[in-house]
Amino acid sequence: MTTAALEVTDLTVAYGDKPVLWDVDVEVPVGTLTAIVGPNGAGKTTLLRSILGLVKPAAGQALVLGRPYREQRRLVAYVPQRGSVDWDFPTDVRDVVLMGRYGRIGWVRRPGRRDREAADEALRQLGIEHLASRQISQLSGGQQQRVFLARALVQEAELYLMDEPFQGVDATTELAIVELLRALREHGKTIVCVHHDLQTVAEYFDRVVLLNVRTVAAGTVEEVFTEENLRLAYGGRSAAFGRRNGP
Amino acid sequence: MTALLPLDDYTLRVVVLGAATLGVVAGALGTFAVLRRQALVGDAISHAALPGVALAYLLTGSKSSLLLMIGAALTGFAAVLLVTAVVRTTRVKQDAALGIWLSVFFGVGLVLLTWLQRRPDASQAGLDRFLFGQAATLLREDVVTMAAAGALALLVLLALWKELKVLAFDHEFGATLGLRMRLVDVVLVGLLVVAIVIGLQTVGAVLMASMIVAPAAAARQWTDRLGAMTVLAAAFGALAGALGAVASAEVSRLPTGPTIVVVATALVAVSLLAAPRRGLVARAVRSRRARERLGLAQVLADLAQLEQVHEGPARGHHAATVGAMEQADVLPALVELERRGLVERTPDDRWLLTDRGRSEVSRA
Repeated sequence: MTTAALEVTDLTVAYGDKPVLWDVDVEVPVGTLTAIVGPNGAGKTTLLRSILGLVKPAAGQALVLGRPYREQRRLVAYVPQRGSVDWDFPTDVRDVVLMGRYGRIGWVRRPGRRDREAADEALRQLGIEHLASRQISQLSGGQQQRVFLARALVQEAELYLMDEPFQGVDATTELAIVELLRALREHGKTIVCVHHDLQTVAEYFDRVVLLNVRTVAAGTVEEVFTEENLRLAYGGRSAAFGRRNGP
Repeated sequence: MTALLPLDDYTLRVVVLGAATLGVVAGALGTFAVLRRQALVGDAISHAALPGVALAYLLTGSKSSLLLMIGAALTGFAAVLLVTAVVRTTRVKQDAALGIWLSVFFGVGLVLLTWLQRRPDASQAGLDRFLFGQAATLLREDVVTMAAAGALALLVLLALWKELKVLAFDHEFGATLGLRMRLVDVVLVGLLVVAIVIGLQTVGAVLMASMIVAPAAAARQWTDRLGAMTVLAAAFGALAGALGAVASAEVSRLPTGPTIVVVATALVAVSLLAAPRRGLVARAVRSRRARERLGLAQVLADLAQLEQVHEGPARGHHAATVGAMEQADVLPALVELERRGLVERTPDDRWLLTDRGRSEVSRA
C-alpha cells in the first residue's frame, strides 16, 4: 500500500470542555481532490488548523506523506479564508505572493531572483499578472482569492490545504480555481478543501470527508456522497437536495 | 507664569536631537505595532516602565540614564510577559489583561516615586520627569545612549523586515511556513520596549505610547507601501519630537511629553483630513464628483426619455419638466451639459439634446 498524502488519526480538539473534533480519522491518497464537508460548527476549519499545528489537539496526530507534519512543513501549503487577514495592509499583490517563499528563503535574507520568478509564474497561472503592483485593498473578492492561491503555489508544496477557496468569488474565478486544482492534481499534487456548496461537490472533487465533530463518512464521492450520509452529517437537513426534514 | 529659559544653542541642539531620535525610533517601530494591531501593548509597556525607573534608582542609587532605561525596560517587558501568561492560561482577553497589568505596574510605579520624593535626601530629585517628560534635562550622554539603543533596534527591524511583515499581515500563515512567529512576536515586543524606554525621560510614561501610535497612524494615510510608511512614520516622529521639545524647552513649566504629543496628534489630524486618496477631504471630493457624474448622466437620460415619449421631430423641454422627474433643481446640471456640448438651449428657453448628447445616451 502506498503512503497517504495525509493521514489524520484519532484527532480530538476541544475548546475548553467542548469537543470541536472528536476522534477524527481522515486518510487522503496522493493525487486526489478532497472536499471536507459538514454543517456550521462541524469543525472543518479546526481540522485544517490542527493539522497545521495552529490549534493544539488534545489527542491524535497528522502524518504528511508518512511523517509528522512538523518534519514535512515544506511540503504543505495553506490557503486560509480570505477574511482572515486585513486587506488594507500597506502592500501590493506581488509582495503578498512572495510571502509564500519566506519559508525557504530563511531568516534575514531577502527574496532573490528565483523567488521573484516563481511569484511571476504563479501570478500568470492565476491570470492576475496585470495586478502584480496593485495595492491589495483594491482587489475584488475573487482577486483576493487568486492572490492567496498564488501565494500557496510559490511554496511548491505537495499537499494543499485550502479553507473555502470558493467562498464569495465570482463565477469566472470559481472556474479558474477549479481548473487550477485539476492542473495541480495532474501533477500529482494532493488538494484538500473545506467546501460549503454541496451542489458542486460531485463535480469538483474525487473524494469527500463528511464531518460533524466526528467523521460521519469518508471515501470517494460515489461511495460517500449519499443522501443517507448527508442526513447523518447535517442532522436531517441537507441543502443538497433542497429538503428540510428538521423539526 | 511663563518665561523664556536661557537655553543656549548647544543645550537646545542636544534636546532637539534627543527628541528627534526618540521620534524616529518610535515612529518606525510603531508602524509594525499598529499594523499588528498591538498599539495597546505600547501603552502597557510605557506605563509599566515607571516602577522600573524607580526600582533601578532604589537599587543602585544612580541616576545614570542607561541604568534607569534598563530598569524601565525590564519591568516594561515583564508586564507584557504577564499579559501573555494571563491570556494563555485564563479566559481573560488581551485588552482586559493589558488594562489590568498596566494599572498594577503604573500604580506601583507611582507609589515608589512618591515614596522616593518624600525621602530626606535630595538626590532623587528629578525622577518625576519620567511621568510627563522633561526634555530640558537631556544631557549629551543621554542622547548618545538613546541613539545607540535606537540604532540597534532599527538594525534589528531591518534585518527581520520580512519576518515582521508576515507577522503583521498573516502570522498564522507565517507559522505554517515554518517561521517562528512567536519568537518574532517577542522580538517585536522587545523592539517596542527599546523604542519606549529611550523616550521615557523626554515624553514620560503617561504619554509615550502615543508616540508609538500617532506617527504610524499619520503615515498610513499618505502611502500604501510598508517601506514608505515606516520611513514616513519615522519622519513624523522626528518632527513631532523636535518641535515639541523646542516649544517646551523655550517656555518654562511646559512639560515636554504633552507638547510633543500635541504636535504628533496635530500631524494625525492633518493626515486624516488632507491626505490624498485616504484623507477625508479627498474622499468627500471623490464621492461628490461621483454623485455629480451620476447626476449629469441622469439628466441626459431624462431628456432622451422625454424625446422618446413625444413623437415627431425632437423638440426641447423646460428645465422644470426635467426637474419634476428628478425632484431637484436640474438647471446647474443642464448648464454643465451645455458647456460640454451635450445639450443646447433653444431660443424659447427649452433644453434640447445635441447629436453628441444623443450618442452619449445610447452609449451609456
